[in-house]
Amino acid sequence: MNARLDGEFREFMQARWPAMVRLAYGLTGDQGHAEDVAQAAFGRAYASWPRVRRSGDPDAYVRQIVVNENRNRFRKRRVTERLTGSPPETALIDVAWTDATREYDERSALIAALQRLGPRQRAVIVLRFWMDLSEPETAAALNCSVGTVKSQTSRALATLRQMTELVDGELA
Amino acid sequence: MKIDDERDLHERLEAAFAAISPRPAPVDDAMSRGRVIKGLRRTAVAAGVVAVAAAAVFSVPALLHRTAAPAPTSPAEQYMVTVQTPGRGSPPGVIAVGTINGQRWWIIADRAGADFTHPGQQDIIIEGPAAGGPGGSDQYVPPLSTAGSAGPVSFTAITSGSNQIQVGAVQADVSYVTVRLGNGTVLVLHPVTVYGTRAVAFAAPARAEITEVAAYSRHGEIAFAVPFNWPGGSAWVVSWLRPGQATAPRVSGVVGSGQVNGKAWSATGYLGPWGTCIALDGAAAQGGLCVPAVPAVSAVGTCDPGSTPQIAGGVVPASVTRVALTEPDGTTVQVRPVTVGGRKLFAVALRPGGKPLRWVAYDGAGKVVASSGR
Repeated sequence: MNARLDGEFREFMQARWPAMVRLAYGLTGDQGHAEDVAQAAFGRAYASWPRVRRSGDPDAYVRQIVVNENRNRFRKRRVTERLTGSPPETALIDVAWTDATREYDERSALIAALQRLGPRQRAVIVLRFWMDLSEPETAAALNCSVGTVKSQTSRALATLRQMTELVDGELA
Repeated sequence: MKIDDERDLHERLEAAFAAISPRPAPVDDAMSRGRVIKGLRRTAVAAGVVAVAAAAVFSVPALLHRTAAPAPTSPAEQYMVTVQTPGRGSPPGVIAVGTINGQRWWIIADRAGADFTHPGQQDIIIEGPAAGGPGGSDQYVPPLSTAGSAGPVSFTAITSGSNQIQVGAVQADVSYVTVRLGNGTVLVLHPVTVYGTRAVAFAAPARAEITEVAAYSRHGEIAFAVPFNWPGGSAWVVSWLRPGQATAPRVSGVVGSGQVNGKAWSATGYLGPWGTCIALDGAAAQGGLCVPAVPAVSAVGTCDPGSTPQIAGGVVPASVTRVALTEPDGTTVQVRPVTVGGRKLFAVALRPGGKPLRWVAYDGAGKVVASSGR
């Protein structure tokens, strides 16, 4: 690839790296995995960079690869990495109650709650409500129908409300 | 914490994810990884080429001889094209590999609908040194399919820089397809199955004339086609003929001309074994349309059929004396078709717009003979 294209890619990755890591974090719940997924996604994007930039929306392209990479990662690891009934980290921290700890607890509670959702519901929540994608855009990113996005969103929101209300009740 | 509405959820997710501080972007690592991916792709394709080339030397020396030693030609047709079927080790989606003047190319089809930025379409990619640049080039086309095809192979022509790419979906009974180029080269295409569809493909210089395409089953020739070679490059396979069927004589004539925004345009109708094609030329418009040899009525625009084109052209029944076309603002333009080779053709400038083209064709008595039906 020529220096101009390399420079474009370099600039693009520098700018979008944090957002893609955060997206991957929303999908995986683990910062180490998130960075692996994002790096793999950018690597794939670089391999097809002339085509990716011609798509007119490289951000959407890489976002799609992140979702796919995460799905592949999940498939590869599903034997050893099973979802459990309890979140990997507890939101209930018995410490002095300050604004900082409250914020920290709320963030961890939400991340923990996300991790208790199935992978597709988690992806729907992150794409729809964090990335603000429309239902058709989310459906395209997840390679499913808009109807599936709607039903998964509805179930995920119901589950989240249940979980977060419980957390809220216990903390209060 | 309660999730009362979507906005609230967005803000909470924003806060949760904003707390993540990723390490600095590992740009060099990602680029290095990307180079490995690209290298693997090329190695796999090259391995396929070598395997097939070796097999071909022992199995079909006559075909190789014809491909490698084209008949003497005029300087304008001095080019060398080869094509091979990809080997077993090729990555998914590779339809064909080959060379143009010694430079390698490979044609890859992505899975139809795989690219969410082009829903319902299939990405056809040409890569390699012959593709003219880093990363090659690609074009999105309707998914490869034989559904609705009048012939054994449904070809799609793509122009990529100075090359033309021909890619086609192949019916089940086709064993192989031959393509004769203007310089005498005969390419033999063996179908490969990509994502469930049997397909063939090849690349050639855009200026290379394609004089004949033929499809064969295990029992012999199924059909042949004489493509229309557009002035300036690229060929379209429009009509298929039965083996031994006489080919129609070639006739051409100007069917329309004028000016659009001060720029001249003209349209020429070409009739022949391919059917009927109307080619636009001039600063105001490029492109054209074709209809099969089987008598057909058409008034398809030369641009996006879903909107009103800049120049509309078509073929109408012999009894038609005028065609009325509706412009985007509702006004009607009337045009008298011109007889070329016994067929009635027309071309007329319109104001382009977003509305599909509507047209009605009348005979001398004012009776409607055909219409767009919309």
